[in-house]
Amino acid sequence: MPAGVFKETYRADMAHLRYPIHWAGLVLGAGLALTAPLFLRGYYLDQAILFMIFLIAAVGLNITLGLAGLISLAHAALMGAGAYTVAMLALKAGFNSVLAIPLAGITAAGLGFILSLPSFKLKGYYLAMASLAAQFILEYFYSLLAPEQYITVPFETKEIAGIFFGEGVPLYYLALAITLVLLLAAGNLARSSLGRAMKAVRDNDVAAEIVGINVTRTKALAFTIGGFYAGVAGGLYALYSAGIGWEGFTLLVSIELLGMVLIGGPGRVVWGSMLGVLVLKTGWTNLESSLNPLLTGMGLDIIASTAKYIVLGTLIAVFIILEPEGLIAVLRRVKEYLRLWPYSY
Amino acid sequence: MDPMLLLESTVRGVIIGLTYAMIALGFNIVYRVNKSINFAHPVIVLMAAYVALVASYRYNPLLAYLLAVLAGVAASIAIERLVARPLLGRPPVALIGATLGIYYLIKGVTITIGGAETASLPIAYKLYNLGPITLGLNDIVSGLGSLLVLALVILLHMKTRLGSAMRAVAEDVEGAAAYGIPVRRLMSFSWALAGLIGALGGLFLAVKNQVSVELEFYAIRALAASLLAGLDSIGGVIVGGIVLGIAEEVGGLLLDDYLPGIGYDMAFFILLLVLFVKPYGLFGTERIERV
Repeated sequence: MPAGVFKETYRADMAHLRYPIHWAGLVLGAGLALTAPLFLRGYYLDQAILFMIFLIAAVGLNITLGLAGLISLAHAALMGAGAYTVAMLALKAGFNSVLAIPLAGITAAGLGFILSLPSFKLKGYYLAMASLAAQFILEYFYSLLAPEQYITVPFETKEIAGIFFGEGVPLYYLALAITLVLLLAAGNLARSSLGRAMKAVRDNDVAAEIVGINVTRTKALAFTIGGFYAGVAGGLYALYSAGIGWEGFTLLVSIELLGMVLIGGPGRVVWGSMLGVLVLKTGWTNLESSLNPLLTGMGLDIIASTAKYIVLGTLIAVFIILEPEGLIAVLRRVKEYLRLWPYSY
Repeated sequence: MDPMLLLESTVRGVIIGLTYAMIALGFNIVYRVNKSINFAHPVIVLMAAYVALVASYRYNPLLAYLLAVLAGVAASIAIERLVARPLLGRPPVALIGATLGIYYLIKGVTITIGGAETASLPIAYKLYNLGPITLGLNDIVSGLGSLLVLALVILLHMKTRLGSAMRAVAEDVEGAAAYGIPVRRLMSFSWALAGLIGALGGLFLAVKNQVSVELEFYAIRALAASLLAGLDSIGGVIVGGIVLGIAEEVGGLLLDDYLPGIGYDMAFFILLLVLFVKPYGLFGTERIERV
């Protein structure tokens, strides 16, 4: 805590913006986010949009996994539910894709609720296996939905009032608005009674029940809210991509999302997820796209295609073993070190 | 439905089921000592197959198979020492996440070395007509081999002093340690045994089908056999594996017209069904652990 800042009320202690650095961060961050399309174009703007899509999904998983401690290996399948909802509504009913995004969230939330049913009876590994089975079963049904691999979301359904939301600047601002609303909601959720109930269930469910928390309801809500976030992310993904296929929502994506949460900081819903997505999605994609031509040039294209597995796997395992609180804890230590520097104690 | 077709599917189901049972046993052996599922087990199956393939280009087949098994054992021991042991006492999500990480790490290394190609191991292919059923030599080798391995491991558990010690550790770690049983070493041994079984499972699968990246999915589906039997049961996996094998083959045969390709996903329906109805499986110990 910086010197010279005094908090006299509980309200001030609970505020989102407590220190001057928070205000500075807000002004800088909001400024950057709002003006990004001015200096990011084409590929990089797409990267920013993908970052937000995966951020929403990771925040959802962080609520289920980080806050409530419920393991879900089916998060990518829930994203798929959102994406296919948008695609099918657009394709079969001509429904507007942008307006279908809330419906995508609701569909995935419903699926999330169904996924929560095993958690009433099961814990730990058994729950992980239930979600693993759900992931594969949903993948199977998605492959039935689109036997010719890809569903193209009709372009004309991506338009509202003449503005095409399928790409570029309009999509960026749409995604930004949705992301901001959902992040604010998630940040507040973590501090609300529900969020605390989730943490209590995570840390000790018996004790949580004894102090009067409805464990079943909390678990169901954790899965449902996590599913809603995944569904919205999937809906945005359907809007963003030209065609969606079940390959976009495989177990690998689920594990990538799990990695984002575990590496970023489980339980730190907003900032932890953001760090995780920044490293595993944006960071990795850019590293890959700059390294791959090099590796292919050296005749090592097999490494270029497997490096993702190796790096992702190693990062996840190393972080879990050595730094279970994730990057956010590393960041905190760096911050502490700098704050005390050069008098380290 | 042609009854002969049904019979043939059933026989095929039993044969693949035995291999499933064997791979499932690898999950169970680890679960018994660590009370955790080793999600890296499927990749050991995959790795062994590719090691055998790559080694068979250079050495004679038997040496290649031996190398594959050694690689499986070594990888399994390494996972125990470097991942599972530091994570003892941490919540389940830690071990699930870490073993999944190792899964992808080894998968990446395997594909780098083996190239994600599909190829056959060098064994003789021959067809036998047993009455109305045609079976290949590869089917027979993998079925009988799996049965033999299963029998040996079950005998090890039931009849030897080592097996009693392993059962003691599975029952109660502190109690076993109090009686002077070397718990740590037995944990390592259990993981090594699981690696051995997984690697052999990979070889049998590779012999039966082909070496391909699909093999890992067989191992993931074997989880259903493991759970159906009960995660801490040993002999039960035979029932679990055979039920899974038959469900895949016969279910695929009966339902394929309506739901194409459903056979391979039967495992996950079984998994969900078991989890909802009887999470501790048919032969597992029921733990009194209320949520």
